Amino acid sequence: MPRWNPAGLHCYVTGGSQGLGLELALLLVKERAHVSIVARDQSKLDAAIRQLEDVRVDESQIIRAYSFSLNTAEGAEAALTAASVPHEGRVPDALFLCAGSARPGFFVEETPAGLQSAFDNVYWVQAWSALTAAKTYAKQRAKGKIVFVSSTVGLMGLIGYSSYAPAKHALRGLADTLRSELSLYGVDVQIFFPPTMQSPGYENENKTKPKITLKIEEDDKGLSCAVAARGMLEGVKQGQAHITADFINTLLRATMRGAAPYNNIVLDTIYACIGNIALPDWRRGVDKLIVKHRKEHEEYLQQKGFWND
Amino acid sequence: MFGFFERSWDPAAKHCYVTGGSQGLGLALALDLVKRGAHVSIIARNQARLDAALEVLEEARLDKTQQIHAYSFSLATFEESKAALDAACAVHGGRVPDALFFCAGASTPRFFVETSPEQLEQTFVDGYWVQAWSALAAAKMLAKQRAKGVKIVFVASTLAYMSFVGYSSYAPAKTALRALADSLRSELMLYDADVHLFCPPTMRTAGYERENLTKPAITLAIEETDEGISPEDGARAILSGIRSGQAHIAADFLTHLFRASTRGSTPYNNPIVDAVLGCIAWIAVPVWRRSVDARVRKHREDHERYLQTQGFYDAD
Repeated sequence: MPRWNPAGLHCYVTGGSQGLGLELALLLVKERAHVSIVARDQSKLDAAIRQLEDVRVDESQIIRAYSFSLNTAEGAEAALTAASVPHEGRVPDALFLCAGSARPGFFVEETPAGLQSAFDNVYWVQAWSALTAAKTYAKQRAKGKIVFVSSTVGLMGLIGYSSYAPAKHALRGLADTLRSELSLYGVDVQIFFPPTMQSPGYENENKTKPKITLKIEEDDKGLSCAVAARGMLEGVKQGQAHITADFINTLLRATMRGAAPYNNIVLDTIYACIGNIALPDWRRGVDKLIVKHRKEHEEYLQQKGFWND
Repeated sequence: MFGFFERSWDPAAKHCYVTGGSQGLGLALALDLVKRGAHVSIIARNQARLDAALEVLEEARLDKTQQIHAYSFSLATFEESKAALDAACAVHGGRVPDALFFCAGASTPRFFVETSPEQLEQTFVDGYWVQAWSALAAAKMLAKQRAKGVKIVFVASTLAYMSFVGYSSYAPAKTALRALADSLRSELMLYDADVHLFCPPTMRTAGYERENLTKPAITLAIEETDEGISPEDGARAILSGIRSGQAHIAADFLTHLFRASTRGSTPYNNPIVDAVLGCIAWIAVPVWRRSVDARVRKHREDHERYLQTQGFYDAD
């Protein structure tokens, strides 16, 4: 498969004002793409645009920022339409759906609104953009690319992530279905699984994350957003269906392939063999930690007034 | 470790809570449980179907002391799901059930580009939230009551492991259920509860007939070699899987193949069997997928004609 090249193409990046989305947008601008970034906060978008302008390569590059909330179908549609205006209404050549945020916590402490909003901020915030893009690609009989961003917890479930993992897994379910279905329209679909990324989003996430979850993750240094973005773009260029940029997620990816294509059959087979031994072993260790944590957890719930009614 | 001590799980005299219990898999399971002496509560929306189901269950009653009840509730919101659970527990002194089987769910496959936002949201309710809300209500209840050994069984689908054209609303919801089951398997260890996931293939039920009304022709064509299983096969597999302590339960060879090749960090059922399945899947799955991809690509022209006749390209 020929390497995908963003030069001269219109790339649409949601969550593009910070973290992974911004780092990706910077790379795309440097490679001579036209870039539209979408996010909610206007001041963050303004700051991001200044950074993008600093790395502009060519006068003809169209670099724009749009402030929209993407967790409704209407918002996603309006954003995509707005970004298409400077391109004669043509749907972008590639969409990078980096929008999303996490609030880990214990399941028994979750509220229905909390569970619902986890889905809105993780799944729907990307699914709505995919829906409006797919319809537009089909209507305009245009070819293109949609890239979702999931997570390590889109490849496994873990204590503390019962609100977040289902939504990140759902993105994988959607990406795999659309990889098959959107070939009816000549649209490629790919999905990236970053690990912990050192970003403002991550600081926020750790505020509510259960201690036991933090403990299980303590050895995971994660990646900087810049390194993650480079890994993501490289995987996109190679046309990989499932993209990972770090070893652990690569092991997970190789053992969670479902029906998705191999990236490299030899390497993926080796990773799967390693993963099929290493992952259950890791998980047994985690299970033991959790069982040992029972008493501490009960004290924690007691202190939070869980049994007061 | 998980599973080694489960061989003795016996539903007799235990309160088993079955959502989607008025037809299909849920009813087959409820019947099986009644025959083994369990107290059974079935939950569904349609009162007429519940009444018919209750008659079937009563005929299989072993013992006068068995509490066999049907409750009409929607499970689409947390409030309703909690109300259903509370209602079913009332006759048991408010105690959380010993085992919960979330068989509620429906599928409405369509082409993605023909799906409205409302339809996409509704299918997520039908495929995910109708089980997730019950899980939230049950988890809070079992934690509050410090109840030990509670079993929770989610019912997803083979489409939780892999997907293809037509299932853009269903596969995400079922994949999400897989993640919820895996996360809760981990987290509910804090409360000594067990979590299982059952992934059935096509099941020959009334639900399946309804599903085929909207299903795209290409999807039906891809599935045509899948004979599927009966709901009774499904019920048997669930109970056997719980007794063997399996985190993920399957009832047919193809799903086992996908299960073994999408295992990630989920516990294996049997290391040797799973390794063999993994090797078979390593060859068989890519072959299957490439043939599916080829069929979809060949279908492009037909699909464009279909969209044309549906008025898809007409100006909005």
